[in-house]
Amino acid sequence: MGNKNNLLARAGLGMPTHMEINGNTEAVVDGCSGVLEYDSDVVRIRTGKLVVRFTGRGLTIKCLTAESLVVTGFFTGIEFLV
Amino acid sequence: MFSLQITRWILGYVRFSVIGGSPERFFSYCARSGIILWNISSRSDSGACVSAGLYRNLRFMARKAGCRLRVRERRGVPFLLRRTRTHRGIVFGTAAFTVILILLSLHVWCIDVTGNTTLDSRAVLSALTENGLYPGARISDVDTKRIEQKLILMFPKIRWMTINTQGCTMQVCIQEKTERPEIEQESGVCNVKAASTGQIVAIRIFSGTAQVKKGDAVVEGQLLVSGVVEDEFGGSTFVHAKAEIIAETSRSCEFRIPLRRSVRQSTGFTAVRRSLRLFGANIPLTLTGKPKGDCDVSGTQTDVRLFGTLLPVSLYEEDWTGMRTVPVTVTRQQAVAEAKKDLAEYEKNLPQGTKILSSSASDRTEKETLIYSVTLKCEENIAKESEILIKS
Repeated sequence: MGNKNNLLARAGLGMPTHMEINGNTEAVVDGCSGVLEYDSDVVRIRTGKLVVRFTGRGLTIKCLTAESLVVTGFFTGIEFLV
Repeated sequence: MFSLQITRWILGYVRFSVIGGSPERFFSYCARSGIILWNISSRSDSGACVSAGLYRNLRFMARKAGCRLRVRERRGVPFLLRRTRTHRGIVFGTAAFTVILILLSLHVWCIDVTGNTTLDSRAVLSALTENGLYPGARISDVDTKRIEQKLILMFPKIRWMTINTQGCTMQVCIQEKTERPEIEQESGVCNVKAASTGQIVAIRIFSGTAQVKKGDAVVEGQLLVSGVVEDEFGGSTFVHAKAEIIAETSRSCEFRIPLRRSVRQSTGFTAVRRSLRLFGANIPLTLTGKPKGDCDVSGTQTDVRLFGTLLPVSLYEEDWTGMRTVPVTVTRQQAVAEAKKDLAEYEKNLPQGTKILSSSASDRTEKETLIYSVTLKCEENIAKESEILIKS
């Protein structure tokens, strides 16, 4: 399923992104296609046509694989940039 | 999570820093090429962890992102093994330890015999050895059921026994039989006769017809109480006669004490031999050989226990004492003292309830032997049941 999503994303056909947020301390993003910006205050990631921007304090990427990513820290905002 | 950490540690991992360029691009390239990174730190101290085997593959991605990589930590089993490569002793030691541990766990370390009160533990251990259960035997070869059955047949005193395997310890639990009390014969027809000659001082008849009275003198074997009881109509019935006849009796005994005899005496020579018993094998700890000549030997085995568990190691100590036979002449006083000791022992073994009223002793010497003669006046129960055989 993950490989299929990846292929769809590469083909520019859009990809169903699944995001799971636990409180304001952890976010699991399935369908992520790359990290655009990474700092302790901001994490910006690409998910198909969208760019998701996490802002907060002490942000860290716990795990990064081809399709998913886990961001932890104290979130103060999540933005979706089209 | 913990299992994941353990797996990563077993496989080995590298913690590295990303210097210069665009760390975000580098992480994205890694993700796209299927390399899993974890514990990724941000720009100020950019770095991550990766499996040890995949680290080499990161170089290409780093070059593309304009970064340089620097290893900060190497962790896990592969790196530990690599570190010990120069210390072969540790590797061999670990291997030897593992092999010895496996080999030892397959064998019986020790046998613990419990529950025996009258049976000697050494006799039980010897019987177990005969049947294939001994320290050092393979646990898989020990057929506990067969050994249990054999031992129950060998020792009639054993009522129940079981052999439990507790790791490398064999626990032999024994329960001994309770002796069956003798059943008093109450049903048969019998008379009461005199067990010894004497003068009756008291009579207590429980059943039967008295044939003697208080003050009568009786001889051994004389009928005291008859088992035939006549009723007022002249009919007779047979009963089991029972009575307590206390009589004043006289007992004579002689104690012979040789005045010249051979006594074994210590020569003053002593030797101690120690050995270590490991899995039933004796490893001598002293170089002293077996002393020659006439010697007395006594052995002590000290078992080693760790937190109450019997270990297969024990210390065995033998004390050898040189002996010689020396002719000794005993004085008359010494011989009389010895005879008095024997007399005290004889008095202890008299029938229960016997009272000694008086005693008179005399001694004489005959062929280098002191003869100590004693006559005891006693008060005792002389009633002895004697069965009447009736032909029907």
